[in-house]
Amino acid sequence: MKSPDISALERAARRVRATCIQMAHDSRVGHVGSAFSSVDAIVALYHYWLNVSPNGPTRFDRDRFILSKGHGCTALYATLADCGFIPRELLECYAQNDSALPDHPCRHALPLLECSSGSLGHGLGIATGMLYGFRLDGNPARAVVLLSDGECNEGAVWESAMFAAAHKLDKLVALVDYNGLQAVARTDDIMGPTSIEEKFRGFGWNARTIDGNSMAAVTRALDEIPEAAGTPTVIVLKTRKGAGVSFIENEVFWHYRVPSADDLSRALAELGESPVHKAARP
Amino acid sequence: MKAAFVKALTRAAGEDPRVIFLTADLGFQIFDDYREKFGPRYINAGVAEAQMALAAAGLALEGWRPIIYSIASFVTARAYDQIRIAINYHQLPVLVVGAGGGYGYAHSGVTHHSVEDFALLSTLPGMTVTAPGDADEVAELVPQLLKLSGPSYMRIGRGGEPTFQSDAPVILGKARVLQDGKRIAVISTADSAYDVTAALKVLGQDGIRPAALQMHTVKPLDVDALHALAGRVDTLIVVEESLPGGGLYAGVIDWIMTSGATMHVRRLGPPDALALGSPHTGDLRKRLNYGANAVTEACRVAWNDSSLRRSSSGM
Repeated sequence: MKSPDISALERAARRVRATCIQMAHDSRVGHVGSAFSSVDAIVALYHYWLNVSPNGPTRFDRDRFILSKGHGCTALYATLADCGFIPRELLECYAQNDSALPDHPCRHALPLLECSSGSLGHGLGIATGMLYGFRLDGNPARAVVLLSDGECNEGAVWESAMFAAAHKLDKLVALVDYNGLQAVARTDDIMGPTSIEEKFRGFGWNARTIDGNSMAAVTRALDEIPEAAGTPTVIVLKTRKGAGVSFIENEVFWHYRVPSADDLSRALAELGESPVHKAARP
Repeated sequence: MKAAFVKALTRAAGEDPRVIFLTADLGFQIFDDYREKFGPRYINAGVAEAQMALAAAGLALEGWRPIIYSIASFVTARAYDQIRIAINYHQLPVLVVGAGGGYGYAHSGVTHHSVEDFALLSTLPGMTVTAPGDADEVAELVPQLLKLSGPSYMRIGRGGEPTFQSDAPVILGKARVLQDGKRIAVISTADSAYDVTAALKVLGQDGIRPAALQMHTVKPLDVDALHALAGRVDTLIVVEESLPGGGLYAGVIDWIMTSGATMHVRRLGPPDALALGSPHTGDLRKRLNYGANAVTEACRVAWNDSSLRRSSSGM
């Protein structure tokens, strides 16, 4: 197993955050906080862990990644551009009319995506169907689904969790972005005293909780997923909404807030990286 | 119709190795033979219609041809969001099968009634909506639905429905002409077709000969068949076991309003109301006046009412 270059991954994560806030500023569409909290996981997946390549984006045995929390899509788009899956210039058209990159991911607009998302509670179940079929085909592909913690309010998530355990879908990895804040309330106030980790474990999953904004912790947790254990795995990513920029972190109003020009320049200065579509080309 | 569906499913799975069947824990024993033949291509998703629809979407995204199955009211309404988003938004070739549609399970109460299914599914862009009238139509439609590139719905009965005689072919998207006739036309869907054929026999003895079309495909509506009636008939009698909104009648009315055709339209079917009292299906049809006797009577009235005839209808 290759070992992760943590500092390079951390730099990529700063670059992706810079890209996200630039896109939100330019398009006047918010969701910066939701995008920021999961940037480290998405960067770790695409730059390090997933078996995917821009040279063969439709290979049958590629790992499938589903951004079930579709509202955090700038983090995905920015990472796809950073890794060469889509042209960097495409980021300029984010959330514009007829864009390939609408503000919730659409597979009709960007066929590279495994599926469209935007309505919460669908991604995990879709992944279970994919993996059930892969087993029949002898396809070794894995599937990773990134959910939000608020998404786990949805009953369908637990129907899917039950199905995945019953069918021993051990190539399924759910990442729950547990930033603790939903659109208008705190997650724990809504979901009750049992932790998300305990809930999944109760459903028969291999479950753990880690610091989801630590690149070292995220890559280690991904590497420690037990193979062929007969159980699906959930990694609860304890994250900070808006993580990575001090004045955005843990502020509820950054769920929807559109960054001003001043917000943008302060954030870019703090991150110390240019957006991938604004950086000087070699 | 249920037995015919199982048979058609088993044949389709034998011919196409990508056909895969999911049930939401329904169909006691009737799928045993299929299961024995196709093993893992039988999935009991549990009493979890949403998950069944999501798993089907995931399978279809990877090139499978899933068929999802439950009682019609559950597979359509309970899993509606998943059908709308995961299946229909992606335009995936998933066949949704609802058993005991309409008032097939009338006696089980409102929870089991499925008279909104045409409206719910028809409103989804690109969704094909069918309601075969008997076992023969089920057998003919299943392989055609499995050739579609997009999503589809098939309402079937709860089992034991009588078959009716017709030499007309069953072609998806095309009305099936059960009888040529004049002045009036009866248009049916689902197993109301049987009531219509029973009425036609009685009417024939009195020299009353309406045209009769069976619309096993509710969407897309065969407007060519309706156009062909224009000028030949004055009155359409639509028979449907569906609420008035969003069903076959609504489709016919929409066609009338947009085509410029001038015809009287009468609807026989349940009103926009809860069917309380848990009546048996046949009793309910009598009570709500859309069974065979009601069709016979409506045809007789229309046939004899000269005020319904247009001046140009002497042909």
